[in-house]
Amino acid sequence: MQNGAIDTAVSVGDLSRRRFLVGSIAGASLFAASGKLSIAAVGKDSLSLAMIGEPQVLDPMLATSDLVGTVMQHVFETLYTFDAKWNVVPLLANAMPDTQNEGKTVTIPLRQNVQFHNGQPVTVDDVLTSLERWMKMAAAGKAVARLLDKLSAPDAGHIRFDLKEAYAPLLAQMALISNMAAIMPKTVLKDQLDQFVGTGPYKFIERKPDQYVRMERFDGYTTGTEAHDGYGGKRQALVKELRFIPVPDANTRVEGALSGQFDFADLLPVEAAERLEKAGDGIKPIITENFGFPYIVFNTKEGVLKNVGMRQALQAAIGNEELLLASFGDPRFFRAEGNFFPEGTPFYSRAGVDNYNQNNPEKAAKLMQEAKYDGAPIRIMASRQYEFHYNIAQVLVEQLGRAGIKADLQVVDWATLVQRRNDPKVWDLYITHSGLLPEPMMSPPQLGDSAPGWWTTPEKTAMLKQFNTETDAAKRGQLWGKVQELVYHQVPYVIVGKFNALSCRSSKLEGYQPATWPYFWNTK
Amino acid sequence: MMAANLQFLARKLTGAIMVLLLVSVLVFVLMNLASGDPIAVLLGDQATSADIARVRAQYGLDQPLVLRYFSWLGQVVQGNLGTSIFVQLPVLQVLANRAEPTLLLAAMSVSIATLIGVPCGTLAAVRRGSKLDQIVSTIAMLAASIPSFWMGIILIRIFAVKLGWLPASGFGAPDAGLLLHIKHLILPAIVLGVLNSALIIRFTRSSVLDILHEDYVRTARAKGVPEFTIMVKHVLKNALIPIITVIGLTTALMIGGTVVTESVFNLPGLGSLVVQSVLRRDYPVIQGALLVIAMAYVLINFAIDLLYAVIDPRLERKG
Repeated sequence: MQNGAIDTAVSVGDLSRRRFLVGSIAGASLFAASGKLSIAAVGKDSLSLAMIGEPQVLDPMLATSDLVGTVMQHVFETLYTFDAKWNVVPLLANAMPDTQNEGKTVTIPLRQNVQFHNGQPVTVDDVLTSLERWMKMAAAGKAVARLLDKLSAPDAGHIRFDLKEAYAPLLAQMALISNMAAIMPKTVLKDQLDQFVGTGPYKFIERKPDQYVRMERFDGYTTGTEAHDGYGGKRQALVKELRFIPVPDANTRVEGALSGQFDFADLLPVEAAERLEKAGDGIKPIITENFGFPYIVFNTKEGVLKNVGMRQALQAAIGNEELLLASFGDPRFFRAEGNFFPEGTPFYSRAGVDNYNQNNPEKAAKLMQEAKYDGAPIRIMASRQYEFHYNIAQVLVEQLGRAGIKADLQVVDWATLVQRRNDPKVWDLYITHSGLLPEPMMSPPQLGDSAPGWWTTPEKTAMLKQFNTETDAAKRGQLWGKVQELVYHQVPYVIVGKFNALSCRSSKLEGYQPATWPYFWNTK
Repeated sequence: MMAANLQFLARKLTGAIMVLLLVSVLVFVLMNLASGDPIAVLLGDQATSADIARVRAQYGLDQPLVLRYFSWLGQVVQGNLGTSIFVQLPVLQVLANRAEPTLLLAAMSVSIATLIGVPCGTLAAVRRGSKLDQIVSTIAMLAASIPSFWMGIILIRIFAVKLGWLPASGFGAPDAGLLLHIKHLILPAIVLGVLNSALIIRFTRSSVLDILHEDYVRTARAKGVPEFTIMVKHVLKNALIPIITVIGLTTALMIGGTVVTESVFNLPGLGSLVVQSVLRRDYPVIQGALLVIAMAYVLINFAIDLLYAVIDPRLERKG
């Protein structure tokens, strides 16, 4: 009876099941067709750009992270920017500045007939007020403010910095995209911005946190006439809309790029390189060389490493190449070299590099003895926010162990690390990294006065003063060698090496130039 | 009857308020006891201690804990969950932005889990001891064991990368319609649906088995009632209580508990919002989001209680 009931159920349901099946197939086809065009990148009117995360803020003056600058550099512009060789070139300025009074008076001519996104013309008042805000809110601006006597507008077409002493990094600081010296309308400037109005080739449209930041072509954009060169020269918004999509999971960025969902995917894991290379003509992997450097910061204020002898001992124990291999694996993605700046750049120097990559536990042990090391564990702070920080920390523990140095590895989340590093009582060294920027004073922050690590010595102060007041570029380049040597001698930090970044683009994205801070003007 | 219903509602409401208060206190205390400073994260490497102290004061983070809690509670009572430290938007707006993907994904996942779980569990119970029963039990065990991130990656590789049938990630473009949003959720919904069907299969099987041997089922068969009618009208209807319970709990889990899947598919859901907010110590969002999730649990449980009374009127009479 049970079987009969089931058979009955089958025969009664058979016709309706067939209808259901046919209807489903028809519906599915319609469903597939309706959305098919939208699966892949939307087309020439729009670019979908997968970034490593959500920009913390959209105010470019506040943000120290490159992510914010990378996104908002399409909306905001600065007086100066960098060309492809990292030379400072004019952007909203009309020309390089006129420098007088041994570099203490810097007069900048302004480009005329530039419009903001809200239709207002850019006036000298807007520039002055923007720079005043920058000097109040941005760390880079504050460094300038400390040396400033007066900022003024001698006429409608110029602004002038009157400085207490010459400051060589001034233009580079103003060209940087993090802590950006962005020029905004005076009318929108306040401590907390609620409008994002700039002069860039794109105007800000909307932000949906953790979903996208959207911007559209600004039709009133006045481009320079110079040929496009790095971030300098002509900026054309060839694509109507840009969508910056936060995709925190690196694997998801890779899969999204491979499936054609993204036109560009930033900062991909090096393990994905092979897959991207074998993906066929639709995907172009991009390797950006000398993208950044991991470094180890020492606490020079309190604890075991307050003693410079102990810091030199650790430097002797460290094998930089091993640390880089553990972090990046593929040799195409790292370079173990002691010069802080690459060969061929203005600040290239080999001074002090004998101290790099020593990997010498015997020497370390001898230095420890001379420093009267009492055996207290070295407290190492690292975060898994960036997996390579953690890899470096693990190998470092082993390297120190070989030299007889005990290590206490404390793995914390990033929020805890940034809090604890401000307390000199709780750590001895921590691992971090930075982008490799064209101006030495931009990074690491330990070259400044108050960054964690608290490296303040008379030699540092004197040497950096000489370095920063030298306005002759060639002489300044040579002076950097002395700073580099001092870092190797006093060891406030150890630069592990340099790493290259992997990203990728759709082969349909034309005109894209690989850049440290990716930009999408002049692309289509 | 009316008085009994009102009493029932009053009891539930009081219980709900107690639960929400307790959750809010626990979250607040734990959050502030944990190390990490949202302002240090916000301001970045170059910030000095003076900068951090100044901005902490701007956000009221220098106030005593108790004061901050009651200040927040006072705002909540007025319908204001505060402002996100990081995105500078009202917390309610931040949560509202996550509502559509979260609720849509929950609805699709639970539907898939139910459509797999109930029929498979029923079949397994009806054919207890047979090969079909063993196959279903094995499938349930596998579904419970497979890591969601692994399944997600495999589905992406096959359906998005190799076949190009479905999107690899995200919730769809800003101007996308509902159909496209649903398309983006198909793969994650399959992951969550399959994984959560395991529990529904087990509960359905167990519950149906309990009912299958009841006298009234034997009587219905003896009377010649068709087997399908017996299964639907007599067996399933009486087995529904525990099944509804587990489906309800699964639904509650979908609200805020699907972080891994949201991460793999880059979905802007409530779960990933909570995790991101915890990582960057966005206190107002953590507090608001967890309160909302707790409220969802309370509401779903309340709905289940009401459904019980609908399915089994005897429960309503008992009050």
